[in-house]
Amino acid sequence: MFPSFLFIVIFSLVPIFESFRLSFYRMILTLPWLGQKFVGWQNYLDLLADPVARHSLATTVIFVCVTVPLEVLLGLAVALVINEPFRGRGLLRAVVLVPWAIPSTVASQMWRFIFNDRYGLFNYFLFGDRTELYLAPLADPQMALGAIMVADVWKTTPFAALIILAGLQAVPDEIYEAASVDGAGAWQKFRRITLPMIQPAILLAFLFRTIDALRVFDLVFVLTQGGPADSTNVLQFYGYKKSFAEGMVGAGSAVSVLVFFLALLFALLYIRVLGVRVLKAR
Amino acid sequence: MASALTLSLKGALIVLALPGFVLLPRISHGAPMELRFVTWRSDSPWVWDRAIKDFEARNPGTKVVREVGPHSSTEFHDLVTQKLRNRDPQMDVFFMDVIWPAEFAAAGWALPLDDFFPAAERQKFLEAPILANRYRGRVYGVPVFIDAGLLYYRRDLLAKYGFLPPQTWPELVRQARKILAEEKEPQLTGYSGQFKQYEGLVCNMMEYILSNGGALWDERGLASALQLASSKEAVRFVRDQIIWGIAHRGVLAYQEPESLALFVQGRAVFHRNWPYAWEAANDPKRSRVAGRVGVAALPSFPGGKSVATLGGWQLGISRFSNQPRLAWKFIEFMTGSEMQKRIALFAGRAPTRKALYRDADILKKNPQFRSQFEAFTRAVPRPPVPVYIPLSNIMQRYFSSAISLPDSDIDRLAGVAARDMDRVLDLLKGK
Repeated sequence: MFPSFLFIVIFSLVPIFESFRLSFYRMILTLPWLGQKFVGWQNYLDLLADPVARHSLATTVIFVCVTVPLEVLLGLAVALVINEPFRGRGLLRAVVLVPWAIPSTVASQMWRFIFNDRYGLFNYFLFGDRTELYLAPLADPQMALGAIMVADVWKTTPFAALIILAGLQAVPDEIYEAASVDGAGAWQKFRRITLPMIQPAILLAFLFRTIDALRVFDLVFVLTQGGPADSTNVLQFYGYKKSFAEGMVGAGSAVSVLVFFLALLFALLYIRVLGVRVLKAR
Repeated sequence: MASALTLSLKGALIVLALPGFVLLPRISHGAPMELRFVTWRSDSPWVWDRAIKDFEARNPGTKVVREVGPHSSTEFHDLVTQKLRNRDPQMDVFFMDVIWPAEFAAAGWALPLDDFFPAAERQKFLEAPILANRYRGRVYGVPVFIDAGLLYYRRDLLAKYGFLPPQTWPELVRQARKILAEEKEPQLTGYSGQFKQYEGLVCNMMEYILSNGGALWDERGLASALQLASSKEAVRFVRDQIIWGIAHRGVLAYQEPESLALFVQGRAVFHRNWPYAWEAANDPKRSRVAGRVGVAALPSFPGGKSVATLGGWQLGISRFSNQPRLAWKFIEFMTGSEMQKRIALFAGRAPTRKALYRDADILKKNPQFRSQFEAFTRAVPRPPVPVYIPLSNIMQRYFSSAISLPDSDIDRLAGVAARDMDRVLDLLKGK
């Protein structure tokens, strides 16, 4: 017990508290003569008053609301397929996991090539040789966020699939056999047996994906650097620029704390729903 | 009792000191002095490899340990500043982009080099990069090579239509429109530059704005100048005439490599880039337009004068280094005439020492330096302030928002950006 407690304290609690503390100070690394000054809630008030921050919060929420349901839905479909027994299932299961196993930065570079406006696969699939129609998704403020969403869905659907697959495998075959004896069709079996049985797994996939999507960073970093016209400036990237590039440690910490609470809020919400389901199931 | 304690203390001391005695002779004789150098991945790594070998050969007992960081300036900045924040003594010498010296100086990260690098020595360098290395009267870096924005053009296409390299931006647009209309080549565009939302965007836009008599900010009054009519006019010109006129939309996602790729594939009439592009554009292995490329100073607006943004890299010493003297020896070697000549000959980088622009070997290998020298002497640094990065982020947001859509509200966007910049600049007014 104690070692794991210590581990959590050192690697989780201390940094969180440190972020909290710093978020109440004005501390600008490049202007050391200003010192570390306690400013109370000022960093948070500035954050709320900053249209750039508000816009980046909205961008992040849109990103979460679009990608997470898509990922879970596609993940469910994939899980259902690779749960069926057929020849080459093991291979397919491995293949499905590939996008998730590729390091994020590598995958992001790949998508940068795919979305290239001159030789990208994306354009080739859409328009073939008609190069005059080629689009520049990463250069268009109305398309760039969509492009990043596509890349994120591709990358993390396997993760959702994996969690749901685990849920599917816990459903005992006897129930399906009994249902077949009672004359239930495939849709009825799915609707009445599978879905209720894997609901905790689906909620879990939602939970993990939401927390992760709130913190989206790597795709933005490699693909767009927040542009064009700030259209992909998600919260984590905004906070990163504040803390690391600009050296505004206090303001950057306030962003981290905000993201932390957003994630916590979602986690509590899901766990409430999840906990109730699990208890009911018992 | 007391003597027993002293005895055991002595014993402990001896035990503690023993490894030191054993190690000491080795340190003073065999083990090399390690100099830690943080650098980026170069396009011509062997030039640097050899330079380091030569330095080690000339300074027996010295070993240069390199840490190679990312190529992108922004990411390299993260690496170096992280080490400096942690007061890491494992870094003695590091590269600085031309916009960092003020920041590093103000933060107390870079060592002032005035004692090592006296005025008489500084005079041998081009003025602009030395200015960029100064902050509050002291100097913090030694420039290794210089960059400045240049206009590359298709000599064959301009000659075909009887055009001379354009002197003004409107003239450039007129020439490009004429060529595009006559050539009827759907793959051909008029202009490629760096218009993604990143530091390069500021470099590009600064050239338009300053060559129209505008400014980014007033350095004395510490107030934004983006709202000046001349500044806004230049931004509007880029949006209407360049991006939505003769270029194609893809440039809004381009950094240097993508924009250069377009040009070397023969798909752009004009191209704005740094000096290194000359080598790439004229290399038949990499370029379809090799031998058909011209280079000139960037145009200006009518009545304005041509402005090239100053770029380039400097070497600085960490304040947390334990061996600043050795570090200086290394910098002296790397920025000396001999090394700069080698870098010019084999890496195609433009030297910072004025005398090298009269060197026959260099001019033979890089004849373009002769005409570029003019641009290098006139190159304008981005104003050196410790809060440059936050200012740049605000400007990047503004420029990208202003040019990414054809109907952007430039007046409103400029107002917002100016207000945000003023707030950051106010931080400097306390002192």
